[in-house]
Amino acid sequence: MTKEEAQGATEEEQQAQSKKGQKKQQKEAEKAAKKAEKQAKLAAEQQSTEEDDFAKDRYGMPAMVQSQQKLDRALVRVQDLTPERADQLIWLRARVHTSRAKGKQCFLVLRQQQFNVQALVAVGDRASKQMVKFAANITKESIVDVEAAVRKVEQKIESCSQQDVELHIERIFVVSQAEARLPLQLDDAVRPEAVGEEEGRATVNQDTKLDNRVIDLRTTTSQAIFRLQSGVCQLFRDTLTTKGFVEIQTPKIISAASEGGANVFTVSYFKTSAYLAQSPQLYKQMCICADFEKVFCVGPVFRAEDSNTHRHLTEFVGLDIEMAFNYHYHEVIDSITDTMVQIFKGLRDNFQTEIQTVNKQFPSEPFKFLEPTLRLEFTEGVAMLREAGVEMGDEEDLSTPNEKLLGRLVKEKYDTDFYVLDKYPLAVRPFYTMPDPSDPKYSNSYDMFMRGEEILSGAQRVHDAQLLTERATHHQIDLEKIKAYIDSFRYGAPPHGGGGIGLERVCMLYLGLHNVRQTSMFPRDPKRLTP
Amino acid sequence: MPMYQVKPVCGGDIKIDLPSCMYKLPNVHAQQGNSCTSEHALQNGEVDPAVKALEARQDEIMRKLYELKAAVEGLAKTVTTPDADLDLTVISSLSSPTFSSTTLKGTTDLDTLLGKDHGALRDIVINANPAQPPLTLLVLHSLLCQRYRVLSTVHVHSSVASVPPQLLSCLGPRHADSYARQLFQLGFTLIWKDVPKLQMKFSIQNMCPIEGEANVARFLFKLLAPYPGDAALATSVDSWVDTAFFQLVEGSAKEQAAVLRALNSALGRSPWLVGPEFSLADVACYCCLLRSGSASVAPANVQRWLKSCENVGHFGPAKALLQ
Repeated sequence: MTKEEAQGATEEEQQAQSKKGQKKQQKEAEKAAKKAEKQAKLAAEQQSTEEDDFAKDRYGMPAMVQSQQKLDRALVRVQDLTPERADQLIWLRARVHTSRAKGKQCFLVLRQQQFNVQALVAVGDRASKQMVKFAANITKESIVDVEAAVRKVEQKIESCSQQDVELHIERIFVVSQAEARLPLQLDDAVRPEAVGEEEGRATVNQDTKLDNRVIDLRTTTSQAIFRLQSGVCQLFRDTLTTKGFVEIQTPKIISAASEGGANVFTVSYFKTSAYLAQSPQLYKQMCICADFEKVFCVGPVFRAEDSNTHRHLTEFVGLDIEMAFNYHYHEVIDSITDTMVQIFKGLRDNFQTEIQTVNKQFPSEPFKFLEPTLRLEFTEGVAMLREAGVEMGDEEDLSTPNEKLLGRLVKEKYDTDFYVLDKYPLAVRPFYTMPDPSDPKYSNSYDMFMRGEEILSGAQRVHDAQLLTERATHHQIDLEKIKAYIDSFRYGAPPHGGGGIGLERVCMLYLGLHNVRQTSMFPRDPKRLTP
Repeated sequence: MPMYQVKPVCGGDIKIDLPSCMYKLPNVHAQQGNSCTSEHALQNGEVDPAVKALEARQDEIMRKLYELKAAVEGLAKTVTTPDADLDLTVISSLSSPTFSSTTLKGTTDLDTLLGKDHGALRDIVINANPAQPPLTLLVLHSLLCQRYRVLSTVHVHSSVASVPPQLLSCLGPRHADSYARQLFQLGFTLIWKDVPKLQMKFSIQNMCPIEGEANVARFLFKLLAPYPGDAALATSVDSWVDTAFFQLVEGSAKEQAAVLRALNSALGRSPWLVGPEFSLADVACYCCLLRSGSASVAPANVQRWLKSCENVGHFGPAKALLQ
């Protein structure tokens, strides 16, 4: 296979290089270490002194940073390297992305998170041949401390994020050396899937990426995805707090499965066993009965579903909302959809760089939405599907392909990737869903879709203990198991409703990615338990 | 000289009441206790409605027959004598009654116009650019609301950063029943979006999107009343609509002045632009005139006509938006 051959060839090259490099490094290491200590003792000197023995103290591998002393050296961030800093002498710490020797020069690309800059070591009055060779032999991904002069360039450097400047290195020290053989190459990990003439160039398998997650997370795409995810969480909290919601923390070790016993993880709990919470449903509702009126919680959710699909994880982060309303559950829908729209607007306005970075590797259509959010009724959705040729019953739940088709039809007609489908049939919803007052076949429940995939399932909850008991009996649920749940509604409960979204799924669908594992930092699914 | 003279037995102009129903049955309800109607009383609940239904069906069939006959006659005239002048009096009597100026009553039916109802709200989606609000559509929306139960909503698309608040409330306040979509006959969804040209979408399967404010206005107007049956009048309406959109709005000052003169002369002959009735031409020309800003410098007939349009009502939201 092409991938393995390519990897084998580079490995051999690297091994050959590192053998030479290591011999040289061993000689220079001790001298450089002593000299580096002397220099470090002086106060932050920005000018390197010229010595006759020519550059031996301007490179090398110093001793491991064990906090020997506290230097007041200011390190500049790569993203701040702009033409304004031209001709300044600065220190910075970054990773070596690539190093390439060309005769008397060595070109390095130094990378820091999403930013990288080109650096140059040239044989001259500042650097010796041995220094250039040393720079060329630094292994990829090693962390280096570099003192360099910032120089403007006439021609833009297209391959770097800092396109207008270049660093001319005066001193270079390896702070932490990476092993020569990397399990995956970052350039391969960022390469988009091959199309046309690009076929044959290596890309990295998802499983390999997930097995070596630490390295894969260093890529610009991963950095962008998780910054965006952090943004989603931040916007969720901020929007809800502005609306007067209170953040709560619910227990994850619970005594009884809240939504049907099949999909729970069991843990041993001292002399008995307990379960990991499938959702904070029960506790959110108890908070409403405890007069908190509007609550939200952000926490892990555990589902023991043996589903190996592109959108299921066994553990994910759930963003859940629950609120008491005055007269109609549409107040809840309006609140939730407004929160989602604020999140989308915040992402659209503040995270464009991240979205563009992800699009380079995974191209997709930008996410479109309407404000206020489009709300269609289930019967309308069924009518649209029937018009498109799908045969389905009035009270039948939507299958995944039908959901996707409906998403496309809605996109075609209204040009929105986000909409709410209201008034689902009662038969397909859980027992605590409030039935519709005028038509017993339907319920006050709703689903929200992004790009044709479901992200939220919510409803008005039954807040009357007697009706709840009736509904539970109708669904043949053992009343003993949910006694505590029903009891919470016996002492005055306001009408309330809510819903929950999965953080990873929302990010995946917003960016138009195709697998939820790309948006989960260390994903958990039926086949994966580490890292 | 006649041999025998007989006085006329009956007058010459006695009105004979021709029966309207083919089969007559005695009224079951009026003669309850009468023995001679005992057999009718037995069939009490079954006879009356069936007869009524039969009557109605027969009426319907006779009416259709007459219409068909008239249409065929008209066509026959054109076929047999191709260069004969079309008898306007005959043709105008064929056209279905149009509408009064305030309430439009036409023989239109949503099922025939928009296709069979699949059990869902028929939603008309209009994508408009906030830089050019479609005034004619606002007027037509107001007319539609009078005729049908319309659920109107306004959305802002993510391609537009924000719109001024009057554009958000241009369709009027939210209907009290808007939480129950199936109570409405028609949906009117206005989306403010960054589109180069106004666009309307209705049925994805059967219709392609309709572009251009004039064309969407024609579509919406057909929901209110059919176009005048007379071909000349219909063409006249279309011509005024096009004049309004192409010359009044997009034309140079010279073209606009020319249109104003044409309007003036047309309005000198009749109270409305096309014939004696208020039509789509009046809506289009009013809105385009307002948008071009030359309403104040319009000649006398046009000013009078502008006032009559405003008296019709429904032009309020459009005017408010321009302020």
